[in-house]
Amino acid sequence: MRDEQEEMLTMQMEAPEDVLGEADTLKDQLKRMARQNKLAVVSAVVILLFVLGAIFAPVLTPYEFDQQDVINRLASPSAEHLLGTDELGRDVLTRLLYGSRISLLVGVVPTVISMLAGAVLGICAGYIGGKTDVIIMRLADIMLAFPSMLLAMVIMYTLGDGLINIFLALALVSWASVARIVRSETLKLKESVFVEAAKSMGVSRLKIMCRHIFPNCLPSMIVLFTLNIPSAILSESSLSFLGIGIKYPQASWGLMVNLGRQFLYTKPWLSLAPSIAIMLVVLAFNFLGDGLRDVLDPHLKDQ
Amino acid sequence: MKKFLSLLLALTMILSLAACGSSGSETPAADGQPAEATAAPADSGVEDGLLRAAALYDIKTMDVAQTTDDYMVPMNIFDRLFEVEVQSDGTSEIVPSLVTDYSVSEDGLTYSFTLREGVVFSNGSALTASDVQYSFERLLTAGGVNDDIPLEVLGAEALKAGETDTLEGFTVTDDYNFSITLANANAGFIAELTGPAMSIVDAETMAEVSDFGMSCEDTIGSGPYKVTEWVKNDHFTLEYNELYWGEEPSVKKAIVYIIPDASTQNLMFQNGELDIIDLDYLDSSIVASTYKTTYAQQMVSCPRVGLTYMALNANNQYLSDVNVRKAVQMAIDVDTIIASIFAGDAIKENGIIPQGVWGFNENLERPAFDPAAAKQLLLDSGYAEGEVSFELAMDTSASSNLQLVYQMIQQYLKDAGMTVEIKSYDESSWLDLRQSGEMDSFLATWTMDYNDPANIMYTFFGSPEKTLIRSLNYADTAVMERVAAASGITDDAERMAEYQALEEKIVVEDAAWVPLYANTHLFAISDRVESFVPYWAGYSNFYVSDVTLK
Amino acid sequence: MLLNILKRCLQALVVLIGVALLIFIMLRIVPGNAIITMMGEHANPEAIERMTAELGLNKPLYVQFFTYISGALRGDFGTSYSLHVSVSSLIAQAFPNTLCLALAAAVVAWLIGIVCGIIAAIKENSLLDRLFMGFSLFGVSMPVFMVAMVLQYLLAYKLHWFDISGINDWRGFVLPAIALGWNSAGSIARLTRSTLVEVLQEDYIDTARAKGRRRMGVILFHALRNSMLPVITMMAVQLSSLLSGAVICETIFSINGIGRLAVDAISGRDIPLLQGTILLSTALVILGNLVADCLYSVLDPRVRKGD
Repeated sequence: MRDEQEEMLTMQMEAPEDVLGEADTLKDQLKRMARQNKLAVVSAVVILLFVLGAIFAPVLTPYEFDQQDVINRLASPSAEHLLGTDELGRDVLTRLLYGSRISLLVGVVPTVISMLAGAVLGICAGYIGGKTDVIIMRLADIMLAFPSMLLAMVIMYTLGDGLINIFLALALVSWASVARIVRSETLKLKESVFVEAAKSMGVSRLKIMCRHIFPNCLPSMIVLFTLNIPSAILSESSLSFLGIGIKYPQASWGLMVNLGRQFLYTKPWLSLAPSIAIMLVVLAFNFLGDGLRDVLDPHLKDQ
Repeated sequence: MKKFLSLLLALTMILSLAACGSSGSETPAADGQPAEATAAPADSGVEDGLLRAAALYDIKTMDVAQTTDDYMVPMNIFDRLFEVEVQSDGTSEIVPSLVTDYSVSEDGLTYSFTLREGVVFSNGSALTASDVQYSFERLLTAGGVNDDIPLEVLGAEALKAGETDTLEGFTVTDDYNFSITLANANAGFIAELTGPAMSIVDAETMAEVSDFGMSCEDTIGSGPYKVTEWVKNDHFTLEYNELYWGEEPSVKKAIVYIIPDASTQNLMFQNGELDIIDLDYLDSSIVASTYKTTYAQQMVSCPRVGLTYMALNANNQYLSDVNVRKAVQMAIDVDTIIASIFAGDAIKENGIIPQGVWGFNENLERPAFDPAAAKQLLLDSGYAEGEVSFELAMDTSASSNLQLVYQMIQQYLKDAGMTVEIKSYDESSWLDLRQSGEMDSFLATWTMDYNDPANIMYTFFGSPEKTLIRSLNYADTAVMERVAAASGITDDAERMAEYQALEEKIVVEDAAWVPLYANTHLFAISDRVESFVPYWAGYSNFYVSDVTLK
Repeated sequence: MLLNILKRCLQALVVLIGVALLIFIMLRIVPGNAIITMMGEHANPEAIERMTAELGLNKPLYVQFFTYISGALRGDFGTSYSLHVSVSSLIAQAFPNTLCLALAAAVVAWLIGIVCGIIAAIKENSLLDRLFMGFSLFGVSMPVFMVAMVLQYLLAYKLHWFDISGINDWRGFVLPAIALGWNSAGSIARLTRSTLVEVLQEDYIDTARAKGRRRMGVILFHALRNSMLPVITMMAVQLSSLLSGAVICETIFSINGIGRLAVDAISGRDIPLLQGTILLSTALVILGNLVADCLYSVLDPRVRKGD
């Protein structure tokens, strides 16, 4: 009894140190990245700009995203409308700004969900092993066998349109790869000295998983997180390009490209502006993820 | 081991190459016609007499009994007893086709017809009165979707219900003479016979075929073309029927490619890959900037005999109030919709019977566009601003222009203090919901099947069941009974007056229907095409024989 | 090793069955009556009822599942609701197009990817290297539809070099293949570079070089052969993303392929068609991975030893 309490105390004392230690090195590592990789810093700034644009969209533009002015439909870029107007006379720049809300949300929310789900399942599979491992990994294999776009399409078909459903669909599509990577990390960590030590002290499985394994998986997870965001954004834009997902009158970049496509040779900005926005955000996340990977998790490099 | 490995690799490569090669030979003009494969993509190497057209969706069937819109093949491979011919001044006229002569009895009930002699189907067998009889009976017994027209024939209800196995009102005198007796007189009967659904099929072929309209070999007609190839989701081909009784058409072969994307069709046309393009699915700004300028001499326009309307469900909590429906009518600015989305290529409709249809009432007035009055009417009726809310259901396969109209209407209703949510449904869910009678409101376009007001009045307001399946749930049964009875009025003037009175009651007094517009159907033809006459009602489907190549 | 391959085959089979089950479950939860689309909007209730019975949609779910599985094993995926013909015949028409597109795209990806990767690796850390690697990230970051749209506009519409659509002959496949391969080229270039850089540092390359062989020859014969393993595995993974991208390319270029069939099936609520297309594409990915796995275990000495 006393032993256990003692142990808990030491654990509690150790834990913050552990986290602090992590944070410290993380900070150092980030600094190192900032010094070495200017591109990653630029990317972070670009992402920040998009985030700010999304948050302050109502302040940045005098128009509403669904404000129609049909008499001035398809106007060319001008002082009032920097990127012209769309087929219902709505300001394209305004829709682009509001559209970044959807794209960023779609990038982050499903990725967070899939990271958490993938981490939990991956750690369970790796640490508990046995039947749990087999079941979870077979399930992951099944999910990974689907071409992601087709799987997302089927899920959207089943769930119906809507932002929440897109979140779910994209999370369902991407948890499996996270689970796989976390599992292999876990398998490595399972053999490590400190886990062995904790085990020999009789620390419960759950605690080992939460306190020892999870924090040590974090660096790879941060990298994965940054790299999964752009693929989620691309998936969403492809889905809405095909007309699956976002409802009227919301603005989604993919949908804007789709609707603007018929004007490609007369009013190219209608489809190119949102295309370039998608490319910029995705590129920024990829560069940032690349930079993070170099410093945080070199062995993840080729996955 | 190494050997095994290299073998495996070689095998994989051979397999993939073979797969690639076989697909190459399946695409037309790849391996079979090497001469064409080396030709430049634009406007060369197109064989003489070939018409290249495109459709957004593949047809589901070639059997008229099973479809209400896949008419492209039936229109061209079958004949009807009568056809509608578009005159050079744009008006249209009913002309005999398979029939050479007919007469109507005094009471307007019995029609006697004489068939054209010497007409044969593309398999060589003669078209006789028994084929006509078979065609009528089949529409009733095949369990299809086009059984409303022969239903007027005496005994049709009994045949459909399976109580008898012959159509009582249909009498075959000899091979080329027959008569049809109606249950009730109907002055529009001849017009109804021009509809694509009334195509005449070959009774002998039908006896041997189980799944008619699905394979090219079995789909036999007497029209100017026969269908020779149908690669699902890819293209279908019509070729001149050498046994055709009429004049030989200019187009000897027509290929309709399935190109599910209007932008691609547009680029293909401009790149010389198509000879005819339906501009209904392109934005008016493209029509204006590209087609009306570069292709000004190659534009063909056709009035749409029909209209786009907004349906309001009288069972909805708010829409059940006639004042709310009136507010909706007043809130929508149809003139601006026409000026912006259609760049003026549409006419405003004020009633149910569209312009160009017999019985059209040009004096019918609709409430003027007045958002302030609409707002006030809602307030006066006891609704707070934004309280009136309902769903505007959209079919995702709607044309991009109609999708824009949806969004404009949403905005107009918002401006008048109503909250409307546009909800997208795929086609089947949309139909499902609409037919359940529970769709709050929707926009749709009705194009006439035949030129008689009965076609639209009866379809929408003929019975409680008919208003239910269009989610109108119109409540006035007395009016519906009058609509159903109107087709029996033998005096034309009297019949039209009745339809117009009913129309006014429904649209103006009850505000049960929001008429919008009829947009002109525009096509463009390539420089290989001399002339093209669209179907009189403005369908996307057309008679290939009405296309003349240079 | 044979045992290992057998084991992998068995695993693939389990995954395939899981996939089939998952698709079936997902698609049966869907509301909406597909029969109405199938029969058109004027269909009467009796006809709908008859059709429902004919298609077995009134039977219990597990019966439907076994009918579907046993059918699928015989190559019978049922009848398309919207096109009224057997799904297998539709797939048989569309599959060669998709396969051709995917293979052509793979060739494009390989060519661009490997060439860029080799050059970058040889000139490691040079300006060229950085340029190529930055460029490859561009490739990965550009949405497929953007590349497709721009290519279609410039090379087909403006310059008339190719057809707008893929309906006629091979010329219609060039642009979609480039658009599709573009994406994968980026990842292949990066992978080729990083593995090649590693291999180039190994001893035997130096030995070979010391033996006086020409530099280019050394790289091509030794390094490339040794760095191909991860790239092969990569290609199997890329197959899945190629099939995803094919959905977009086939839509933009109007190619009658599996992806477009799936899109059509979704808009037509055509469950058998959707089931068939997804099942086939997934089976293809599983097969690709299996082949890659087997090749890997055959080729890689470490895996062989471990066996």
